[in-house]
Amino acid sequence: MKRVFLAIGMLALGACRSKDPASGSSGPEAERKLVLTGSSTIAPLASEIAKRFEAKHPGVRVDIQTGGSARGISDALAGLADIGMASRELNPDEAANGLTAIPIAKDGIGLIVHRDNALLGLTRQQLVSVYTGQVTNWRQVGGKDARLTVVNKAEGRATLELFLHFTGLKSTDIQASVVIGDNAQGIKTVAGNPDAIGYVSIGTAEHDASLGTPIRLISVDGVAASLATVGDGTFPMSRALNLVVKGQPNGLARDFIEYSRSAEVHDLVKAEFFVPLGPTGT
Amino acid sequence: MADALTAPVAATPARADGALRETAALVAVWGTAALIAGVFLWILGELVWNGVGALSWEYLTSAPREAGRAGGIAPILVSTLAILGVCLAATVPIAFGSAVFLAEYTSDAGRFGRVVRTSLDVLAGVPSIVFGLFGNAFFCRTLGLGFSILSGGLTLACMALPLVIRSTEEGLRAVPREYRMGAAALALSRTTTLFRLLLPAAVPGLTAGLVLGIGRALAETAALIFTSGYVDRMPSSLLDSGRALSIHVYDLSMNVAGGDRNAYASALVLVGLLLLVNGVAGALSALWRRRLAAP
Repeated sequence: MKRVFLAIGMLALGACRSKDPASGSSGPEAERKLVLTGSSTIAPLASEIAKRFEAKHPGVRVDIQTGGSARGISDALAGLADIGMASRELNPDEAANGLTAIPIAKDGIGLIVHRDNALLGLTRQQLVSVYTGQVTNWRQVGGKDARLTVVNKAEGRATLELFLHFTGLKSTDIQASVVIGDNAQGIKTVAGNPDAIGYVSIGTAEHDASLGTPIRLISVDGVAASLATVGDGTFPMSRALNLVVKGQPNGLARDFIEYSRSAEVHDLVKAEFFVPLGPTGT
Repeated sequence: MADALTAPVAATPARADGALRETAALVAVWGTAALIAGVFLWILGELVWNGVGALSWEYLTSAPREAGRAGGIAPILVSTLAILGVCLAATVPIAFGSAVFLAEYTSDAGRFGRVVRTSLDVLAGVPSIVFGLFGNAFFCRTLGLGFSILSGGLTLACMALPLVIRSTEEGLRAVPREYRMGAAALALSRTTTLFRLLLPAAVPGLTAGLVLGIGRALAETAALIFTSGYVDRMPSSLLDSGRALSIHVYDLSMNVAGGDRNAYASALVLVGLLLLVNGVAGALSALWRRRLAAP
């Protein structure tokens, strides 16, 4: 047992020693480190971008920590993180404190129905009625005469959060017939039920529909659901995924932000079912 | 029961009533026990059913890719074990010391002992997110350890300590008074009595506490997300941030679209690890006990 403690002690000491050069100072071989904290929606994407960034810049380490958008913003403000991650816009107070939000991708969710369902779209108000159980038949929202099957996301999903934000509902208000976990499951459920309605990431839905899965994205408040309308910001159920910095980013932080916005990471953005920024960078 | 006592003459219906009650109690007791076993088997079965397909040697030995949807969990497994190691290295000596103090140097009625015991019992019930925020404020910021395996392990130690101390103390208190008197009669010093006689006797209590503590530590997400962090790179020192398995499972099932299958696989590994660590703790304590008790 003593030996075990000794070994752990040595390990800890060794750890401290091996860290010294980094905290020591600015030799060319010194490790440069960037810390990002914030939104758990962005964290998996930022993690993947960070890995690729590290591979391109030897000696650089990018650590991603989560804790929610609010934490990302406050850490960026307090200087506890080099960059914050926020899956919402900054409020005026935060902007007045000298914070800047720089989008790296868009997140959009769309309503899907079965391909054989002729419904063209819903308004926000109709959507609220459907998801609170006030409407139980498709006829009541302009569709065929059939009972609605409402598909909802499980608690804690970023898509649920965005859906609640758009509809203004609380998750306890929702009367769902089916609760699903991820996008794939949601698409499968709707594809297998001609009377179902659900919401999933637009990127996944477009991709699967193009491969022949019998689902269809319908419009919301008259705006067609597509990667294009999410990209240009007109689709209502979408949000920007932002990196937040205090003042103007410089050095390594600027490089990382530029890299995160570049076309080099678009495959990573799509792999997380987000929408890459358009060519104009908005 | 009351009927049988007040009206002994009318014995037959009361006896039938009693037998019925016996059967009902029996069924209830068996039923609840079966229910608990059933819940455990259901959880385990679901994990195995959904997770075993994704599990392979490759999964255990490669780094995660695509936010955990592909690749494996090697760095996460290493971080988890390192966090657990730090937690145990801090917990075992402190728990032993405090338990010996509480059991051997304070009386039941003593004020100081009572204060310590009450604070331990309160600490044992504190929600883990509170420990996480404390760990973040104290270890990460005040002590400057940052998001690191060390911060995470020490935060977990704070959580596990109350359980382990109380359980070890109970173990020590269960040692018959005659042992201590016998040792005193043989003119053994207090230290010798402690190390040769009392500690071996208390090892089962310590082990039971450790098993509970390890279980709580390995299952922890709230206390770790703000202390050991989210980074899924292979750690090169204890001062690196490292993602624990439980956080990986949480992230895969909540934040990563399409991560459900690997979430099950990681959860299965976590349960396996828990059983393994508990088995090793049991075996070590048996070995240690024999060694300490040997003349």
